Amino acid sequence: MKTTKNNSVPIFIGKELGFKILNPKSLILICIFALGIGAACAQDSIQDQIQTLKDEIKSLKSEEQTHFMVRGFTQFGLEASDENINFNMTSFNPLLLWRQGDRFLFEGELEMEYMANQFRINLGYANASLIVSKGLVVRVGKFLIPFGTCVEKFHPSWINKFVTMPLGVGHDGIAPISDIGVEIRGGLQLGKSKMNYSLYAVNGPGIKDGMEEPDEAGMLSFENATDNNNNKAIGSRIGILPLSNSSLEIGFSGYYAMPGAEESPFMGDTLNEDLNYKDVTASLAAVDLSFVKVISPLKGILDIKGQYTLSNISDATYFNPEDTSRYTFTNNSMAYYAQLAYRPAMATNKVLQNLEVAGRYSVCNTPEGSLWHSKQSQIVLGLNYWIEWRTVIKINYQMTTIEREEMEEMPGMGSMTGTHSVADENMLFIHLAVGL
Amino acid sequence: MKKITLTIAMIISVVTTAVFLQGCATSQAIADKSGAQLWGENCVRCHINPSPVDFNDEQWTTLSLHMRIRANLTQDETKKIFDFLKMSN
Repeated sequence: MKTTKNNSVPIFIGKELGFKILNPKSLILICIFALGIGAACAQDSIQDQIQTLKDEIKSLKSEEQTHFMVRGFTQFGLEASDENINFNMTSFNPLLLWRQGDRFLFEGELEMEYMANQFRINLGYANASLIVSKGLVVRVGKFLIPFGTCVEKFHPSWINKFVTMPLGVGHDGIAPISDIGVEIRGGLQLGKSKMNYSLYAVNGPGIKDGMEEPDEAGMLSFENATDNNNNKAIGSRIGILPLSNSSLEIGFSGYYAMPGAEESPFMGDTLNEDLNYKDVTASLAAVDLSFVKVISPLKGILDIKGQYTLSNISDATYFNPEDTSRYTFTNNSMAYYAQLAYRPAMATNKVLQNLEVAGRYSVCNTPEGSLWHSKQSQIVLGLNYWIEWRTVIKINYQMTTIEREEMEEMPGMGSMTGTHSVADENMLFIHLAVGL
Repeated sequence: MKKITLTIAMIISVVTTAVFLQGCATSQAIADKSGAQLWGENCVRCHINPSPVDFNDEQWTTLSLHMRIRANLTQDETKKIFDFLKMSN
């Protein structure tokens, strides 16, 4: 390798390799240029980082990353029947909402009621939801089951136009209210229409074996904190809103469960150990409809809603501890309701604007041959006065007819005979419902 | 086993459909709707339209999540409706 002290002569390094290196002046210039570019880039990068940090601090300061609020509802008032007149505190349900960022929400509702000198408190629901993408929300915890729309939509008493739920819906209904599990749901644009969906897996119902309540053997019990088997109930609802103004929604729901425990509930009872409900299946289906529209010629808002629900539980043999007999029946139930409400929201008179007339007809038929068989129908006529958009006074007159077939022993004959009974229950409600 | 397969198939089909439908362009008629119009059309499906002044911006943001989940509102609807409510309170 050769080098020279003459700076004006280009430096040759590795001549044997046959390539020429720049002269020192060029080298210095290039170094300065490179340093300049590097410094500029570094400057830009630092500026970017500072800006990013500034934005982050700003967003942390201005945007409420976490927010906690309390809402809920309450309903109370006067209830008059043929037997008595009572002031009732029917519900006080505080709802806690906690938001983290713009994608995560926790909501929990307590159901408190004070009736018959007893204060009861239940967990209505408590769940966490994460918005995963534009049309996908994942929810875990205890949630209201989107089977039909009645439970989810009418749950807050200030939204329900009546004091009571339709027959077949609610705590004594034939469909689930709430359960613990996981759900995916969302709303999507579908051209000029919209659709929404929900798909869930939950612990599912149990089936009453008649040991504690003989009259309810074969009935599904939806209020279970823990599962009685390893089968999970699955269900879904698809809602279609075909009109671009979202006034019409038609929904289809399905629910499938295996409600029986793995072991016979009569373990230890040698006579009845063979009775087992582990293979019993429950299939539920519902169709719901909602039409809400401003009708200009009527100067008001017309609100029509309805739902038809079917429950089919596979056949099983039940034991009646009262007379030690065994029996079976076709375990199918059916319920439906239709309701209509009209509020002249565009009337010139302010009192009239806040008045609403409403009517509801509902039916619930439970299985023939079961000890809880009945045919119930109900008409409710309502007059509501809206003090504010979430505060309403409801005056309801409710007429319920209950038909039952009861087996009775013939006196002195020793044989059983069926008697048909019809009972009418009329109630007047004057309630105040407030959205908190 | 059949039940598990059925569940998985249902989940996959719903998620696939959801992803596919997200790709569908929003119709012009709906895309052009204002927050006020969407507020008028959607809230009334369950209850009387809420007054914007009843809650502040922070509360409306929390309620927007609550209502988006409960009422299955689309993302675009939710943004427009609650931007309108925040602007009007």
